[in-house]
Amino acid sequence: MAPTPITSPVPVVWYPTLAVLMLSVGLMVTASFFIYEATSSRINRSLTKELITGAVASFFLGFGSLFLLLATGVYV
Amino acid sequence: MAFRFHLLFLLIAIVSASVQAELTLSKVDRKIDLTSHIVRVTSTLKLENLGPGVASEVLLAVPDYQANNLADLRAVINEGKSSIVLHIEHVSPEVSRPEFTFYSISLTKGLEKGQSVTLDVFSAFTHSVIPFPEEITQADSQLVLYKDSAYFVSPYAVKVQTLRIKFPSARVESYTNIQNTKLNGTSIRYGPYENLPPFSSSPITVHFENNRPFAVAKQLVREIEISHWGNVQVTEDYRLFHGGALNKGGFSRINYQSRQVIGGISSFRSLLARLPPRAHSVYYRDEIGNISTSHLWGDSRKTELEIEPRYPMFGGWRTSFTIGYGLPLHDFLFESEGKHLLDITFGCPMDEVVIDELFVKVVLPEGSKDISASTPFPTKQWQEVKFSHLDIVGRPVVVLQKTNVVPEHNLHFQVHYRFNNLSLLMEPMMLISGFFFLFVSCIVYMRIDMSISKTSASYQAKLQWEEMQATVQQVRGIIGRCLAIHDKLDASLRDLSRTGDVQQCKATRKAADGMLKELSKELKPLLGVLQSSPQASQIWPKVEELAVKEREMQERLMLKHSMVVDSFEKKSGGRDIENRIASHQQKISALKHEIDDLLDAIDEI
Repeated sequence: MAPTPITSPVPVVWYPTLAVLMLSVGLMVTASFFIYEATSSRINRSLTKELITGAVASFFLGFGSLFLLLATGVYV
Repeated sequence: MAFRFHLLFLLIAIVSASVQAELTLSKVDRKIDLTSHIVRVTSTLKLENLGPGVASEVLLAVPDYQANNLADLRAVINEGKSSIVLHIEHVSPEVSRPEFTFYSISLTKGLEKGQSVTLDVFSAFTHSVIPFPEEITQADSQLVLYKDSAYFVSPYAVKVQTLRIKFPSARVESYTNIQNTKLNGTSIRYGPYENLPPFSSSPITVHFENNRPFAVAKQLVREIEISHWGNVQVTEDYRLFHGGALNKGGFSRINYQSRQVIGGISSFRSLLARLPPRAHSVYYRDEIGNISTSHLWGDSRKTELEIEPRYPMFGGWRTSFTIGYGLPLHDFLFESEGKHLLDITFGCPMDEVVIDELFVKVVLPEGSKDISASTPFPTKQWQEVKFSHLDIVGRPVVVLQKTNVVPEHNLHFQVHYRFNNLSLLMEPMMLISGFFFLFVSCIVYMRIDMSISKTSASYQAKLQWEEMQATVQQVRGIIGRCLAIHDKLDASLRDLSRTGDVQQCKATRKAADGMLKELSKELKPLLGVLQSSPQASQIWPKVEELAVKEREMQERLMLKHSMVVDSFEKKSGGRDIENRIASHQQKISALKHEIDDLLDAIDEI
């Protein structure tokens, strides 16, 4: 079997776009998380809603910051 | 039986050893290239077997004063158009003499009696041209000495031989003159000499001008870091040194700048690095910071980087710097039989640089297993661990060490390893869990009660206030839902005037009615709580009014809805319907306004 070249799982040229997109989505979800934290009162605050928002925000922020690192040349 | 076989092999070995003495060199042509500071010797040997046995290996003798400087030795046999590289190993044979180091070339097929074969032997020596005088001034040209033997030193007798030495310029100060010596422009010829016995030698010394850059890297550390996210990062850390005649009498920048042709002819000011094609993010810096004197250009086949050290390099001067560049992953990393394979060049990309000590460190991604490296020449290998960005257990590093490296060693080498692509997700997972931890700590912070005294009046008041706030929010939510149902009812009326589907409209009203009833049931206990709460004394009248108005609006809406549906069933004219519901409509809009105002007022509190 001839050796086949290996490429990155995501094309390298997409990294800056992906970083901007995912970070902006992540920051928006983060903003909604903190708005919810600040406006809802202690009694009728829903833990599931908080956890879901947090999870979604951290997913986008995590991948966004990874792509930001990759786009800036810090190949982790 | 096994014993017998061993005896047989022993016999063969003895016979073949005795046969070696019967080899003779019928013709030797040697060319020594002294145009740079690396001495390259190309010898064409015509071997003939006179003895009765079969010869399978040929011995080469390298004098000890050269053996330490021997960087590269390879032998090629030319068969037709193709050439085969032969295996060479260091041996100590019976004919051994203490002042020589022996290498044995294994022939691809045995040489029988009367047969002959032609070999090309290539060798490269470093640090063999010695500057003389040892110290020169800035304006002087650099003169160097080279010592060798006019005869090819060999354990075999040589019938005919010649030697040609090539110089970088026509300026040859002196040379050893023995019989048949002829200086001709930039080269000198010794020979032909005939019928010389084994190990005959005749020392010669040549003294000539050589102003080529004597660039020696005392140490070069090449770090090749693989990221499966799409990059091979190469970082090269040089400790460069000018290995020529030492500079004396100081350095004058004025002389150097104004008369460049004669001022500093022995120095060099730039080096050219030939990087692989598609190299990107190239940098050139040292401890102080970026060095701006570099030029980069390239096309689809190569990238060339010309770097100038911070000062021109004179004899004995040293400098250290780092160059780095990124390479696309798919040019160097391959997959074969479930294993990953890195295929990249070993040596330094710069022209004519001798490296005294070279470390090649291949940093593999975290989680690589079954690591092995294969190089086309022997190197010292070991493994290390490196910690870099987002690492937990560290990245495995394969270190290859080699001394005395010349550009001939700039060959490809391979590193094989196993890597599971799922491990790629480790880094994003770490980032995600980091962010998630932040959110969870926020949630926890918002939930824990930090007050010290849980019984104080103000604390109790605060708790009640929060409870009241939560109730008001709930009330507000229910009212909001009621208003949404009102909108739905209006929408159903509009649908009716468009489609005329009375049944549908009635069904909508029924559903809305049910929902509104449920909501009012939900609302009742909340209102009760607010009424009894002392904290809500301020807000209670507003909430009460809101509830009342909302109820009134509900009733009006229902009335309007049923009136419209009825008239529709009786097929009254549009104008007629409008006249009949006009008063209701007015009242409803007024109520809506009031409710909106009340909601705003509650929000403010």
